[in-house]
Amino acid sequence: MIWIYLLVIFALGAGAYVGGRELARRRAVGARPHSRPGQHGAYALIWVAVPALVVVILSGVFSGPLERQLIAVDTPDSVTALEPFRRQAFFADAQRVGHGQPALQIWERPLAEQLPIEARRMVSIERTLQWGSGLAALLAAILGGLFVSTQIRPKTRARNRVEGWIWGALFVCSVVAILTTVGIIASLAFDSFRFFEKVPVFDFLFGTKWSPQIAIRADQVGSSGAFGAVPLFAGTFLIMIIAMCVAAPIGLMSAIYLSEYAGRNTRSVIKPVLEILAGVPTVVYGFFAALTVGPALRVFFNEIGLFLMGGPLDGLGQYLALVQNQMALTAGAVMGIMLIPFVSSLSDDILNAVPQSLRDGSFAMGATKSETVKRVLLPAALPGIAGALLLAVSRAIGETMIVTMAAGLAANLTLNPLDTVTTVTVQIVTLLTGDQEFNSAKTLSAFGLGLTLFLVTLLLNIIAQRIVQTYREQYD
Amino acid sequence: MTDATPEQIGAAADARLERLRAGLKRRHARETRFKLYGRLAIGAAVVFLVILLARIVEQGHTAFYTHTVTVPVYLDPARVDRAYPQGTNFEQLAAEQQLARWGIQDDEVGSKAAQMRRLFSSELKFVAADLVAKRSDVIGETVPIAAPLSDDADLYLKGEISKETPEDQRRLSNQQIDWLERMQREGVVGSHFNTALFTNGDSTQPELAGVLGAVVGSALMLLVTALIAIPLGVGAAVWLEEFAPKNRWTDIIEVNINNLAAVPSIVYGLLGLALFINWMHLPRASPIVGGLVLALMALPTLIIATRSSLKAVPPSIREAALAMGASRTQTVFSHVLPLAMPGVMTGAIISMAHALGETAPLLLIGMVSFVPGVPHAIDEPVGALPSLIYIWENASERAFHERTAAAIMVLLAFMIVMNAAAIILRRRFERRW
Amino acid sequence: MKFRIFRSAEDQTGAGPAEAAETPRILPQIKMGKADVSEGRLEDAEPVTGPAVVDSPPVGPIKIAARDVGVFYGDKQALFDVSLDIPDKTVTALIGPSGCGKSTFLRTMNRMNDTIAGCRVTGRIAMDDEDINDRSIDPVLLRARVGMVFQRPNPFPKSIYENVAYGPKIHGLVSAKSEMDGVVESALKRAGLWDEVADRLQSSAMGLSGGQQQRLVIARAIAVNPEVILMDEPCSALDPIATARIEELIDELRERFCIVIVTHSMAQAARVSQRTAFFHMGRLVETGDTEDIFQNPRERRTLDYITGRFG
Repeated sequence: MIWIYLLVIFALGAGAYVGGRELARRRAVGARPHSRPGQHGAYALIWVAVPALVVVILSGVFSGPLERQLIAVDTPDSVTALEPFRRQAFFADAQRVGHGQPALQIWERPLAEQLPIEARRMVSIERTLQWGSGLAALLAAILGGLFVSTQIRPKTRARNRVEGWIWGALFVCSVVAILTTVGIIASLAFDSFRFFEKVPVFDFLFGTKWSPQIAIRADQVGSSGAFGAVPLFAGTFLIMIIAMCVAAPIGLMSAIYLSEYAGRNTRSVIKPVLEILAGVPTVVYGFFAALTVGPALRVFFNEIGLFLMGGPLDGLGQYLALVQNQMALTAGAVMGIMLIPFVSSLSDDILNAVPQSLRDGSFAMGATKSETVKRVLLPAALPGIAGALLLAVSRAIGETMIVTMAAGLAANLTLNPLDTVTTVTVQIVTLLTGDQEFNSAKTLSAFGLGLTLFLVTLLLNIIAQRIVQTYREQYD
Repeated sequence: MTDATPEQIGAAADARLERLRAGLKRRHARETRFKLYGRLAIGAAVVFLVILLARIVEQGHTAFYTHTVTVPVYLDPARVDRAYPQGTNFEQLAAEQQLARWGIQDDEVGSKAAQMRRLFSSELKFVAADLVAKRSDVIGETVPIAAPLSDDADLYLKGEISKETPEDQRRLSNQQIDWLERMQREGVVGSHFNTALFTNGDSTQPELAGVLGAVVGSALMLLVTALIAIPLGVGAAVWLEEFAPKNRWTDIIEVNINNLAAVPSIVYGLLGLALFINWMHLPRASPIVGGLVLALMALPTLIIATRSSLKAVPPSIREAALAMGASRTQTVFSHVLPLAMPGVMTGAIISMAHALGETAPLLLIGMVSFVPGVPHAIDEPVGALPSLIYIWENASERAFHERTAAAIMVLLAFMIVMNAAAIILRRRFERRW
Repeated sequence: MKFRIFRSAEDQTGAGPAEAAETPRILPQIKMGKADVSEGRLEDAEPVTGPAVVDSPPVGPIKIAARDVGVFYGDKQALFDVSLDIPDKTVTALIGPSGCGKSTFLRTMNRMNDTIAGCRVTGRIAMDDEDINDRSIDPVLLRARVGMVFQRPNPFPKSIYENVAYGPKIHGLVSAKSEMDGVVESALKRAGLWDEVADRLQSSAMGLSGGQQQRLVIARAIAVNPEVILMDEPCSALDPIATARIEELIDELRERFCIVIVTHSMAQAARVSQRTAFFHMGRLVETGDTEDIFQNPRERRTLDYITGRFG
């Protein structure tokens, strides 16, 4: 359907261009027109296509919610009485029936009879909306065309007006970036707000017990769920620390080696290697962590455990012998590997921004390269490198796939790298990939976590970018 | 420091030299050590990459070939339903007849036939049913039926299941292994390139599962992403670089774009879930939603890349065009943008390659569920390559592990091709000013 | 002889292409002398023992003796067969148009060219009769004996104190804190900076003015008590007043150190140096006492350069 709309708009636009051009030619006779006929054509095209496109896009965005409202108005009581869960399923089936597909469920008596009726009603509402938006778009195009036909005169500054439109269109493009941020904040805040209505913010931020499994129906036995996110924050923090312990020294040292020691040839080999490492999708790192690093580390610690068992360190041995694949160390180590190229390339840039004159000054004093690096370059580059590391921390906190695949689900409050921990991102994925119900605190808690994650990473990024920017300006 | 005789100065200089020399050895040792740390760090990064890639190839290369068994099956008219051939249990038929040919007596409950049947893929049934549906005259005859071996049998023949493992800890019994080896000796088992991996969609049976569905899904999604992100990104970059007035609002947009580039991808998944699925009711797990989410995610990096290639066009070009009487817009669209195009395209391809590998947001918009077959439209549920990797990695069947690694190789191959295209584009068209 | 000259704007901003445009407005008096055009003598010069240029050997002990020094950047030769004797406790100025190899030659004397990839030095440079390019000579040690000051002041982004203490610290010349305080103070005093910074030793060196920074860099260099100080256009980024202070400082330092200064300002060369060597196109054209060079240049090219006909 959308393709047909777009095709029609395209055709109308093309017609408007040709028409506008001809009109401009005809009306230009005997006068000195300001703009060329083609520019008048483009002006006509804009006035025909843009209103129609706006109508189509608006109807695309709003027809879904509108349709739901319209359907809700006349829904029979037997359907309204259903639990939200079942009601959704009923409407999904009604839609399928309306489009000639078999229903997914068998519905009991009153509902079974209402299903085809509802199906017909839904389809008719859908049709009405579709035709309505199509007609509205056409009308908009015609009105635009009528308006523009009065505007095509030799004196009209069509080129300037077209350029104004282009300026506006480009401006709208950059506003999309702002809208994205607004969208993120709005969608996270809206659902988080609903979550915090059910669970107080304080309990969420400072509670130490996390078990989001709530009974789906009120009559089910089971816990009411606990939403203290501290274990998740601790797990995220632990894995981030492990990752930075791997990434910071290796990344930094390789950046130092690349920028201060390596010759052109070494650089031309190592740089692509790091780029490949940076380009590997995180899901691949997750696979690597889950099936290679995890088992390898487990075997390693189990062997040590078996060796120690019965000795003076028997207790430690017992513990090590039972270490699991999904320890924090696995996810942290692999995440560290993932961050190496990130830290390295950022630090490389930072070190290269340190002026050569400082190196010359130090060498001329008789310093060795390592003394120059340690005593002059690193202190000079410190703010920049701190910024780079903060950005890496932000990435580590927000990283999802490695932890989802290699860290556990158990919300342990521990700082032992050999224990299983879970992270904010793992919980978001887990909460939102199972069966969802949109009003339960369990599902909504994912948005609470998401908002926390967004705010923390945003803060880190802003600070880091500030630091790096000030640092760069210092040497510009 | 003033009234010193030349001798005193000379002595002082000598003492100083001695002192300098004394520390030298230690300082050079420190230098060597420091350099070694650097080498070790580089070495570690290289080793990690090599291990990562080697492990994937090691785990995945076996997925590229597979084993097929060809058995003669007597299509017993008493058991084959002519009208509804799919209803016939052809695997059971084949298993029983195979046992009979070897003269093995089954027990009353048919447990041996059941064991034998587990060596064949359920595909055997569909192959036979297809044959019967096409040519009903074959009923009553003995025809050779070729079908894949079951995933476990295939794994055994690839050496992934060891006989050394105690029987109760492996998926094949001693008897099944004996039968498998006997069939192999009889020459009815053949190995060949695993075309199913590239021509099938996802399946619950590892031996039938393929990546085509996910590849098409990813392609549809990237198409949507490219159609949305590239025009928007280039437009925004052109506005910011060429038209924007320098004021506080522009600064806010810039800072905002930089921050968006560093927002965790999972947050975009939450945005997609809340905005496109729960609010706009776009179909879950569809390429349109996936494409929109990835487009929003790719936008900031695309804008940054485009701006830097616009910056690289020297101002003299703009001045020349403006001096000829071209308007600002004409200058940008007929001179600056075409000159910046190679850089813009390179940036676009690289950000598309990045979007191709992105997984986390896809999980949240529903691409974790099993989608069989190959998708055709942008508004129906699909799988994507990275989410397929995630799903397969989570699967319990061991045969999915090698296929996960194979799917990773396919994904990496696509990314390599895209990045290579970007590099070639850059080499070919890059201008140095 | 002291001249007060007006420096052109390009001169003050320093480096790069602007250098070529520089023309001193006031020149020392030039008397047309015997222009001896034979270049053959340079090549004929005796290897180590003989004087570099026969006409005007330096008086006093020779600190550095360069013989047939050539420098290559990759395949490109930047310096050809330079033979030059540099006397101790004297200021030797290297002059010549930009790109003539004077800075390159300066950098061979503390082996700074080692830090440039693809750079190769031929010939022999002896300091106190020791070949500094010999394998047994450690460039680290050499540079502790041969200090260097660059075109633009390059203090480290640390405190003033730490800048001066840098050399003694890395070379392990000083063990006690009190001793270090003394070294820092005396170096700053000798560089004529003490009075200005005594009360803010711990504040950042980046906060100093350009001229102060350059004197700080000189203090940093003399803190390790080097034997030679190389200066690569030390005033090109400074204003005339700061330049004058540095020039006075150089004149004072001459009593203790062997100083080699590269400058593209002939007036400066005339003011601060006792010996001058004129470079052109990568070759040493003429050397001699500064007064001789400026008043009686033997070479046509020297004359043309110092009278501003090219450069």
